[in-house]
Amino acid sequence: MTKRLRIGYVPLTDAALLHVAKAQHFAAARGVEIELVADSSWANIRDKLVAGHFDAAHMLAPAAIAVSLGIGQIEAPLVAPVALGLNGNAITVSQALFEALRQEAQGDMADPRVTAEALARIVARRRERGESPVTFGHVFPFSSHHYQLHLWLGAARINPDADVRLVVVPPPLMVWTLRKGQLDGFCVGAPWNAVAVAAGAGIILHQGTAIVRDCPEKVLAFRAEWVRSHADDVRALTEAVGDASRWAVAPSNRDALVALLTDTAGQDVSARTIERILESPPSCASGPALTETGLRLDQDAIKADPGQALWLYAQMAAAGQTAYSHDQAAAAAAVYAPALGPPISRPAAIPVAFDGPAFSQNDIASYLAALKTGRSC
Amino acid sequence: MEARSAKQRQRGLASLTPFAARAPPKITLTGLYFRTLFLWPCMGKPPTKIFALARNVQVSIHETHGALLSRDLRIAVIDANPLRAAIIEEGLRAAGHTSVVRIDDTAELLDRIRAIDPDVILIDLESPSRDVLEQMFMVSRSVARPIAVFVDRSDGATIDAAIDAGVSAYIVDGLRKDRVKPILDITISRFNAFAKLKNELETAKSQLDDRQTIGRAKALVMRAKGITEEQAYALMRQIAMNENKKIAEVARSILTAAELLR
Repeated sequence: MTKRLRIGYVPLTDAALLHVAKAQHFAAARGVEIELVADSSWANIRDKLVAGHFDAAHMLAPAAIAVSLGIGQIEAPLVAPVALGLNGNAITVSQALFEALRQEAQGDMADPRVTAEALARIVARRRERGESPVTFGHVFPFSSHHYQLHLWLGAARINPDADVRLVVVPPPLMVWTLRKGQLDGFCVGAPWNAVAVAAGAGIILHQGTAIVRDCPEKVLAFRAEWVRSHADDVRALTEAVGDASRWAVAPSNRDALVALLTDTAGQDVSARTIERILESPPSCASGPALTETGLRLDQDAIKADPGQALWLYAQMAAAGQTAYSHDQAAAAAAVYAPALGPPISRPAAIPVAFDGPAFSQNDIASYLAALKTGRSC
Repeated sequence: MEARSAKQRQRGLASLTPFAARAPPKITLTGLYFRTLFLWPCMGKPPTKIFALARNVQVSIHETHGALLSRDLRIAVIDANPLRAAIIEEGLRAAGHTSVVRIDDTAELLDRIRAIDPDVILIDLESPSRDVLEQMFMVSRSVARPIAVFVDRSDGATIDAAIDAGVSAYIVDGLRKDRVKPILDITISRFNAFAKLKNELETAKSQLDDRQTIGRAKALVMRAKGITEEQAYALMRQIAMNENKKIAEVARSILTAAELLR
């Protein structure tokens, strides 16, 4: 009899490979049956995984690292043998903020440096006039969305804690909150940027790839002790994700993938929107983005490379969520366990931010110091 | 990091006051206590604040004598379902908790929490606002930093029961487990009672629907075949038994077929 595994996920486009693994019977073919359980918050995903109500979960990569290190609410060792993709986020702003940025911009609006500098002037003017600070939404304290906002703001030395307000908003409420005027913009994953554009509520200012190329997103996370006692199931499941990745990137499967993701995305999301997300970034405000990769589901994008975990750990330290230590960095890197994932020989891409010092996984302390100097000058 | 140091600064100040000086240093004092002590002169309504001040001072003296159970915990219930929230509040009040505040989980959630400064927050596990709360706890300088009850995994049974019932809770750090457990137990049992009630209502509703469907199908069969009510019912029951179906399902098929053939 095949084993039944419960996997929690948040309904987002980048849960794609899990849906494919189930719908195309890749998991069943490897001897495990998967039950996908949609959940409403990242806190729930974490708690239910840690408490054993899920066997595995679609999890924000930085959240999996934070739980393992005991930063934030719960401490429990987790393991991520396979990633579920790269990229997919974007920074979307309200029509009003976009207009204000265009008036202030000195240069090409496609350049995040130009928009960050323009934003800095808007932030300063609002403060002089005693108006409420510019407010951006993101999805969780430990999320690449949060760090992408930090990197963008940092390019113009905007202090993310003091100069602007960063608030967590559940993704399904993001567009609504922007339209109500409670947010000036947000950084969120697919499909919500495209949904905001389709609804006329916002304009995509920058694709996530314009801020960070090859940005780690979600991983398939397990409890470390469960991995030890269920090695075969873990192997079967991660191999199935590998199969799903090969299937998902084959052009001949594109229509079936769009149909599957539309079915699983919820009622607000049209097939046209999903199609756009998968093909190329949805219509950008102006000009080409730094790269046009968008959401990646290919083999190179699912390798859980410890270098990516280190990059995320460095962003946590840069955001003041933890104090950097060599031991903690090693523990963060160990969360990513590619040896337990599908065999991928090529090294995974290491994220590259559009601004700031080059990241070196061998010298995170210097990277952090350079990041700090760059921001305070 | 900064939030913590702000808190420590507050604690440092508090230790200079005559009230707190009487308390042994290990006692955890609540955020409201400090705010009331130091902020009331610049806040809106002095009389109530003075009252609160007096109340809290008395509390701190009680706590000095080890009577930690004397202060009523401030409990916030965050639930989009007003009926369930009311049922929980009623249960907590019946157990002697008088400071229970219900909060709708939509707009102004953070402002409300800040204003209430609760010791215990009970939240529907299905509410996406859990993520909002957690960020608030990370960055807030104005609220004592609450922690998820799931953090303490020594009581696996309670965690399982809470997750199954669909409840999550956050408590102010330092609050004793034996004070929180009964609150969580009440909430879990009320959540379960609510789910049961809802199920029963739905079952009753579908039974009512079934009875109406069967009645209409019976009338159709009587007219079509010119037979009595008892014969029509017997016929439908026979088909249901042969096909291993519920009689209501057979009735629905008859109505669908009749609709098609009309």
